[in-house]
Amino acid sequence: VSLLGLCALVFTYNVATFGNGPGMVPLLQEELVDRRGVLTADQLLYAFTIARVTPGQANTYVAAVGYLLHGLVGALACTAAILLPGYLMLPLLWGYRRLGAVRLVPAFTRGLTVASVGLIFAATLDIGRRTLTGWVSVVVFAAALAMAQLLNWNPLVVLAVSAAVGTAAWLLGWT
Amino acid sequence: VTAEREGQVSRRALFGIFLKAGLAFGGGLGILAVLEQELVTSRQAVSREEFLRLYGLGRVVPSGTMTALAVAYGYRFAGLLGTVIALAALVLPALVLTVALTAAYGLLHRQRWLLELLPVTILPAALAFIVVAGVRLGRGVFRPSLELLVAAAAFAGAALLGVNPVVLLLAGGVAGTLLFARGDGAR
Repeated sequence: VSLLGLCALVFTYNVATFGNGPGMVPLLQEELVDRRGVLTADQLLYAFTIARVTPGQANTYVAAVGYLLHGLVGALACTAAILLPGYLMLPLLWGYRRLGAVRLVPAFTRGLTVASVGLIFAATLDIGRRTLTGWVSVVVFAAALAMAQLLNWNPLVVLAVSAAVGTAAWLLGWT
Repeated sequence: VTAEREGQVSRRALFGIFLKAGLAFGGGLGILAVLEQELVTSRQAVSREEFLRLYGLGRVVPSGTMTALAVAYGYRFAGLLGTVIALAALVLPALVLTVALTAAYGLLHRQRWLLELLPVTILPAALAFIVVAGVRLGRGVFRPSLELLVAAAAFAGAALLGVNPVVLLLAGGVAGTLLFARGDGAR
């Protein structure tokens, strides 16, 4: 995929999901992994993992996608592509002062947000099928889920423990 | 835009505030917490009502809500140059770390031990993060409602029928316009 084409994809997906980082995963997967085959599912998952262990907005992981496909220029271009729509805030602020609240806009946004929840679970199911291939990966997944969801631990700690458990199992030859 | 009414923030301070926000963990809400602390509580450059109103408007903008807020506050305090300052500061920490970690992957992913290790360490953990994010995002949806119906329809369309996600998202928006515009589903 060309640099311009990649920027157009990222721009479109970011707008379509309202800048929702996890929401973009199924879209990027469909286009870049399944259809074009320029990224592997592992690379996309790695990019999303980076988003979880770095601070800031959850959609900045597109910089990783850009870097994998077009180097530093790709990372910067993809980042610019997700920032650009933010400028719609200026006409919106101006219009808001003149029109007041329009009812249909939040309803459309809400419907889109709700649909993206369904999409995220569909993508999760798909990624889960590919990722959980052995019993060690299932155990690590369950442990990470418990640490993140039930114990509410910091993602960095969850990753460190998961890595330690998985590495130990690998060293013992269980994988 | 009425910039002078409620106090001023210099360009340097603007960069500092959004750099600090960009270093916050926890995604959008982590960033919002820093902005609230800096702009409302500490500097009193923005009133609480104005802060909440801008947040609501930011959610309507089809970018990250925090991206929209960086544009709004950047413009308010330093014009168009301010938007560039605020946006650059906001993404700088994440961009630098992301590129560094991705470059490490490029160097490491040919190593056989890494290919064996990733599927039992970081990748299942990442899947857990996705599940957690999904549950968190869907928190308001998991109760008997029209919203749950739309979410379930989108799930079925993607998981069972393989419909294009963009089509499903836009269909969700149209469904939302038809279903939520009058009820309390519109927020």
